[in-house]
Amino acid sequence: MPTIRFLLTDGAELAVEAQNGRSLMETALEHSVPGIIAECNGSAACATCHVVLPEEILLALEPISEHENDMLDFAEAPRESGSRLSCQIKVSDALDNISVRIPAA
Amino acid sequence: MSEAVKVIDDVSFGDLLANPYPIFKRVRDLGPVVKVEAANIMMVTRFDDVMAIERDPVTFSSINPQSLLNTVIGPNLMRKDGEDHARERAAMDPSLRPGVVKRCWADPMRAICDDVISQIEHKGEAELFEELAAPIAARALADILGFDGVDWRTMALWSQSLIDGSGNYSHDAEIARKAREAASGVESAVDRMLSHHRDNPNPSMLSSMLQADPAQTVEQIYANIKVAIGGGLNETRDSILTLILGLLQNPDQLARVRAEPSLWGQAFEEAVRWISPIGMYPRRLARDAEISGTLVRKGEQVGLCVGAANHDDRRFSDPEKFDVFREKKSHLAFGAGSHFCAGTWVSRALVSQIAVPMVFERLRNLRLKDPELVRIRGWVFRGPTHMPVVWDA
Ligand code: HEM
Ligand code: FES
Repeated sequence: MPTIRFLLTDGAELAVEAQNGRSLMETALEHSVPGIIAECNGSAACATCHVVLPEEILLALEPISEHENDMLDFAEAPRESGSRLSCQIKVSDALDNISVRIPAA
Repeated sequence: MSEAVKVIDDVSFGDLLANPYPIFKRVRDLGPVVKVEAANIMMVTRFDDVMAIERDPVTFSSINPQSLLNTVIGPNLMRKDGEDHARERAAMDPSLRPGVVKRCWADPMRAICDDVISQIEHKGEAELFEELAAPIAARALADILGFDGVDWRTMALWSQSLIDGSGNYSHDAEIARKAREAASGVESAVDRMLSHHRDNPNPSMLSSMLQADPAQTVEQIYANIKVAIGGGLNETRDSILTLILGLLQNPDQLARVRAEPSLWGQAFEEAVRWISPIGMYPRRLARDAEISGTLVRKGEQVGLCVGAANHDDRRFSDPEKFDVFREKKSHLAFGAGSHFCAGTWVSRALVSQIAVPMVFERLRNLRLKDPELVRIRGWVFRGPTHMPVVWDA
């Protein structure tokens, strides 16, 4: 079970045990991570599950889809180079111990 | 021990249409699931319950082949789930993504608003439902669908007839006839336009559906274009009027929004929370399940009252007040889960970035002609139906 470290907007860190195969968004909701609203529950339609990942991890992930790429420009918090929709990212051992930052709107 | 569903049998359908909010409040306070006899539906009205239901589509299914909606418009994405739903949704999304809206639709939508406002600007008075909101919403939708040249009144008639037909629980023959007529009108329009869109790929919804992989069948195109016509016109129209109304009734808030245009987005979200254009939509139980301790049986239908959830005082303080500056919290006006409104980004751009700012820019010193004349009506669909205004021409 990989550990995911959510960095909250107030600077606090919330480290949680995540299950492989679930999305980062589902992991965040399960642990009530503030700032992950996920209105569309993982359909990449609402952009309310925006997170910022460390750049080295991005390369290890499936490339971003055109749809997600478009959506991210309209998330409430400004887009950064590590921005992703957390609902589109599956937890795996490759993500063990990464920091997932919740960007401030 | 699970609780039984409570019942409210002393309100009339007319009461609901006139103002559902006091009834929603009674239901919310009475229990998580309450059968309201006049509407013949079990209402779920608390914010957290609606959200939890929308996160469990396996239990609370949208699949309902026998629904009136499917009878009227054919098998469509709103009554499907899972992969079947996702494929049809992906076939329309390329026309509705926020970036596409900005790059492809913002300019045509601005031209439509400019044209509609130019026609009334000199008059100093107008009825905004008929003379502003309906034509803007209908013409913008026609562009996005790829229905070039379809007159806005025809769009509006189709939309209303399809909506009335899918809510025709009393099986009124005339309503059914009009709905059939609208359905065949839309189908012939699609037939006329398909080859143009096939030969000239473009960002319109018809074109996106033709370019989709896997390709959409003509039946899928017919049905989902009808969903977009039934679901993309009235809501936009109503939210234009609601946003204008909220601001006209609260001149201090209007002044702050006009002084700080980045607040338009926030003002729009508050308007659709305050009077949600869609007040209720159904889900069907795929197994027995409890909703906050109340048991609902497999096969039964619950009405997710997002209008009520958006006035849940456990979440929103003074929910009946229009307050652009209230504590920021997400609302359910666009639904939630996988059926989260496909047109969210179009309506945000059209209403809050283009139409309503232009109205206040161009119609100087806009005010209600007489607050007593404003009519607001409906519960499944709700919005201002009559809104006479005056301005300095
Ligand atoms: C303020 C304006 C609007 C509001 C408040 C609104 C609200 C909603 C809601 C609550 C739903 C969920 C219904 C359900 O789950 O049963 C929905 C679905 C939908 N809306 Fe909207 N809508 C608006 C504008 C639009 C526009 C402009 C379009 C099209 C251009 C549109 C197209 C759709 C479609 C296609 C669906 C079905 C999505 C699916 O099943 O995946 N809507 N809308
Ligand atoms: S949950 Fe809506 S975009 Fe990720």
